[in-house]
Amino acid sequence: MNSSFLSTDPVSRRRFTEQLAKTTLGVTLLPHLVPAADTAPGIDNKTMPGFGKAKNVIWLQMIGGMSHIDTLDPKTGDSKGARDPIQTNADYQLGGYLPTLAKEHADKLAIIRSMTSKTGVHASGQYLMRTGYEQRGTIKHPVLGAWAQELLGKSSKTLPSSVCVNRGPEHGNGFFTAAFSPLPIHDPEAGLQYSTFTASADVMSKRLALLNKIDAPFRSKFQDSNLKAYSDFYDDTLKLLSSEDLNAFKLTDEKEEEREKYGKNKFGQGCMLARRLIERGVRFVEVTQGGWDMHNDIDDAMEENGTIIDTAISALLSDLQSRGMLANTLIVLCSEFGRGPTINSRSGRDHHPKVFSTMLAGGPIKGGTIYGSSDKDGSAVADKQTTIQDFHSTIGHAMGMDVNQVVMSPSNRPFTVGDKGEVIAEVLA
Amino acid sequence: MNQRLTGLLALAFASALPAADPTPPPSQPVIIAPDGNANFRVWTNATGRKVEATFRGIESGNIFLQTRDGYVYRLPLENLIPEDQKLAQTLKPEGLGIPKDPGLAQAAAVIDKGVLMGLTKAGQKPNPLASDEQFIRRVYLDLAGRIPTREETLAFLNDTSSSKRANVIDTLINDDGFSSRMYNYFSDMLRVADDAQKAKFFTYQEWLKEQLVKNRPWNEVVRDMLVADGKLLENGAAGYLLRDRGMRLDNLSLTLSTFLGANVSCAQCHDHPFADWTEKQFYEMAAFFGASEAGERNRAGGALRGLREELGQQAYQQARRLMDVNSLSIKDGEKNDLVLPADYKYKDAKPGDAVKPKLIVWGKDDHRLRCYQNAENAMKKADDDSAMREVFADWMTSPDNPRFAMTIANRLWKLVFGVGIKEPVTDLDDPNSASNPALLHHLANEMVRLKFDLRAYMRLLCNTQTYQREAVTAELAMGEPFYFPGPTLRRMTAEQAWDSCVALAIGDKVDNFKMKRADTYAQVMNLTASEVTVDVIKEKLDAMQAMRKTVAGFGFEGKGKGAAKKKRAMAKAANAAMETDEEGNFTRPETMGGLVLARASELRQPERDDHFLRMFGQSDRQIADSNSEEGSVPQVLMLMNGDAQDVLSSRQALAVATAEKQESAQAQVESLYLSFFSRKPSADELKTIYADIEGGMKPGDLAWVLFNSREFVFVQ
Repeated sequence: MNSSFLSTDPVSRRRFTEQLAKTTLGVTLLPHLVPAADTAPGIDNKTMPGFGKAKNVIWLQMIGGMSHIDTLDPKTGDSKGARDPIQTNADYQLGGYLPTLAKEHADKLAIIRSMTSKTGVHASGQYLMRTGYEQRGTIKHPVLGAWAQELLGKSSKTLPSSVCVNRGPEHGNGFFTAAFSPLPIHDPEAGLQYSTFTASADVMSKRLALLNKIDAPFRSKFQDSNLKAYSDFYDDTLKLLSSEDLNAFKLTDEKEEEREKYGKNKFGQGCMLARRLIERGVRFVEVTQGGWDMHNDIDDAMEENGTIIDTAISALLSDLQSRGMLANTLIVLCSEFGRGPTINSRSGRDHHPKVFSTMLAGGPIKGGTIYGSSDKDGSAVADKQTTIQDFHSTIGHAMGMDVNQVVMSPSNRPFTVGDKGEVIAEVLA
Repeated sequence: MNQRLTGLLALAFASALPAADPTPPPSQPVIIAPDGNANFRVWTNATGRKVEATFRGIESGNIFLQTRDGYVYRLPLENLIPEDQKLAQTLKPEGLGIPKDPGLAQAAAVIDKGVLMGLTKAGQKPNPLASDEQFIRRVYLDLAGRIPTREETLAFLNDTSSSKRANVIDTLINDDGFSSRMYNYFSDMLRVADDAQKAKFFTYQEWLKEQLVKNRPWNEVVRDMLVADGKLLENGAAGYLLRDRGMRLDNLSLTLSTFLGANVSCAQCHDHPFADWTEKQFYEMAAFFGASEAGERNRAGGALRGLREELGQQAYQQARRLMDVNSLSIKDGEKNDLVLPADYKYKDAKPGDAVKPKLIVWGKDDHRLRCYQNAENAMKKADDDSAMREVFADWMTSPDNPRFAMTIANRLWKLVFGVGIKEPVTDLDDPNSASNPALLHHLANEMVRLKFDLRAYMRLLCNTQTYQREAVTAELAMGEPFYFPGPTLRRMTAEQAWDSCVALAIGDKVDNFKMKRADTYAQVMNLTASEVTVDVIKEKLDAMQAMRKTVAGFGFEGKGKGAAKKKRAMAKAANAAMETDEEGNFTRPETMGGLVLARASELRQPERDDHFLRMFGQSDRQIADSNSEEGSVPQVLMLMNGDAQDVLSSRQALAVATAEKQESAQAQVESLYLSFFSRKPSADELKTIYADIEGGMKPGDLAWVLFNSREFVFVQ
């Protein structure tokens, strides 16, 4: 009896769920106003440039260690890879694998070429890049989406405030409540997992009504916050299932030619999904792309991954711009570390956290900016050393969070957005 | 109860009688009974001897009486004076009924007394005793790691003996389910994962399981992990250190917090802001591992360099993997090479300074303890640094180490009560800040007295009245001390919930399938040839290929595209025929609707991130103790619409099939309530549900409802 609840026409579906919500949950499905991010009280650094101008963030995390020399920080000397750098439409060069970004979008980008970290191990590097904190075996730190939910509130009444695409929900809520964990989309094509009832709408509403009745005594017996949270999650889930916003997860609503612009692969489609989600009120979407651990034959691997991200990010930037969303959407491109200047014996490059690059675009980002630099080989920071904490602080600031505000973890340890890094004002407008 | 014990008991009673005094000495407080039992009365035997005790029950012509010191005496009923015999027949047994042995009852009573003293001090009262229904569900989840089946629940509820609670504890503590449950706990604590360091850690997993099945003392298990030598493929115990190869400081930090509750994670990079640990002290502890070498990956690959052309690119890559796996090995050199880090910023030493091993102390007299003395002597005698790991391990796991026994005692207390006496369990630097310090110290002593026998300790905890009380209904305020009027309300762990689903689907056969991967994997991967030649490599690669084919679907296959789909198809195919070996054990697990119905401990470690287990909070095994008990929208979507509910609301599931076999609607509902909630429905509940049944609701629908209820996932 696999009736597809979502494939019924929207009007009857909505009527059914409204009915359901009224009878079983005591909630009314009204459109709610989402509190604006800049209503957060008492912020000192509001006057600094860029504060709160990024209402949304699309965070693109490259898994495996993206070679800075072959992408954002090209070199011409011994450390140059197989391809020559490309002159961009702004006053700098990009790696030869990113032609579209170089020719059409370089003037929208700010590139930080002086990133540095001490972590050359994938898992802990990814953790650090996502959370801004060193990984310890003893406490979990929140990602920026979770920080924003703590400091700025929910971004949507029906949709989750954070979504992560192409990865699981690890590195999420950190020490905040699990409700702040990003909603994982394992495959953008498949959309939201388990959003289809396996029984008919009629049977489901009867089941839910009975559930509400017979579980009530147990729920009222215990004054337990986790128990209450569970009941809230059931409410939230039903609200989501009955909302028009659920369509945000359906890429099939997009025209095929539009989808092809992003590239018909998990990353490209993930970027398009991110745009759809942001459009409907999700604040923070992470899309990951693997395959960057290029110890072997980096030229082949770069050609494949370079094309994927060049296509997808270019499409995303154009799409956001044409929809008037680029001004309040911050795009972040990052990776756990860079790759070394030396091509190894297997024609690859090895891990290199000492210097690497990240990219920002949209929102308050000053386009066409190159911040900091690496040395001639791309092996060490030459100017304006930037830590991952600085990077996080800058993004957190752009999102409208006070990076000086201390939040205590349940274990009573003090934490801030960006772990006391410095906001890089030069990339913000 | 065996003959020997009977004899002992009779003796104990006889010798106790003359000493018994109907009025307690004035110095003793009269109100507090050892375990909270209130109804003391004076019992008299035929010779006129008297004892003051509570009545615990009658079994096979014997009466059981508990005195104020907590000891339970057993005596032929006919030895009492006729009035007392008559009275005993009419009295309701006090407390927990008849215990398994008098020593255990007394030890449990002492713990109860300790809890009661804490409660009294805080002006609180203990909760009433839990009902049999609450108890049976709780004790199965805690000791067997799953809910009881309908039949197991009925057997317990219908048992009229006074010793049934003690009996079921003993049954469960000795069952396979207990090892599985403990494995789940420890694999979260130790971050046990299939994949680490580009190898499969199957030998480590099975080694750990074996220790738990054999019930080896905890101090010996931990010591074995710390001193293990050799290859991972040949010695599973080496997995603990090799898991973190190349990260020995992180590994040490976890070792200290996990096993000793030493909160040093900050001291790894700077002096600890709250506790007393300094970065220097941390490095001095790390120096005990400074001579241990875990093989290096790159060096292992070197042997292959000359063979690249001949092997071809693909085979060469596979061969490198093979070499990687074989490079996972640990041995001790002669010299500790640890130095202070380049960013060391304190005045007591300089960056790059060599660090000598030195043990941390918690109190100023600690160094007088035997474990410190022994360590010092061993270090004096040593010619080089090759035995430092053993010195450390001996010190750490010693019964008189100030924190080792206390840490595991507090951890296991938390496992069954929901909250540690000291929280977090990884920080025991100041035990006196615990909610009940005296109790914490007592439990540490009990752990030592029981010689680190984890089954004996868990058995003791479950036999306390405190454990068998009703769960606390009030909200526990964060940061407020908790005094244990009873256990807390807990959400099932991911593993408890999954294993319960499996029990609902296939009944008590849940333990029939045991995942065995280590032997095959080790045999195929272990490169023992003295010389690495192309032929040797090719032979190994063929064996690896064959292994992937034969054991696909059991955690060997890669993570590549379509792996999940393939797994589903395979699981469906396997559905038809369940294979068993001569001993009746499954050689393949049963499957339904694409789900492999085996215990969490017998599946991937950890499971894939879209599996029920992970969505319900199973740790990713990257962070120690990171199982989560919180809900989320994706989790609720899965409970409402996922694979598990699909199976459990279908008649494939034993719980539903059994209900459908019942003739009356009432019996059907009762059957499902017993399966899911371990209790019968109330009259009100029956009435509500009848209305829906008349409206066409099926047992499968009710199963969905019960599965999605809070009463199912929360343990009271």
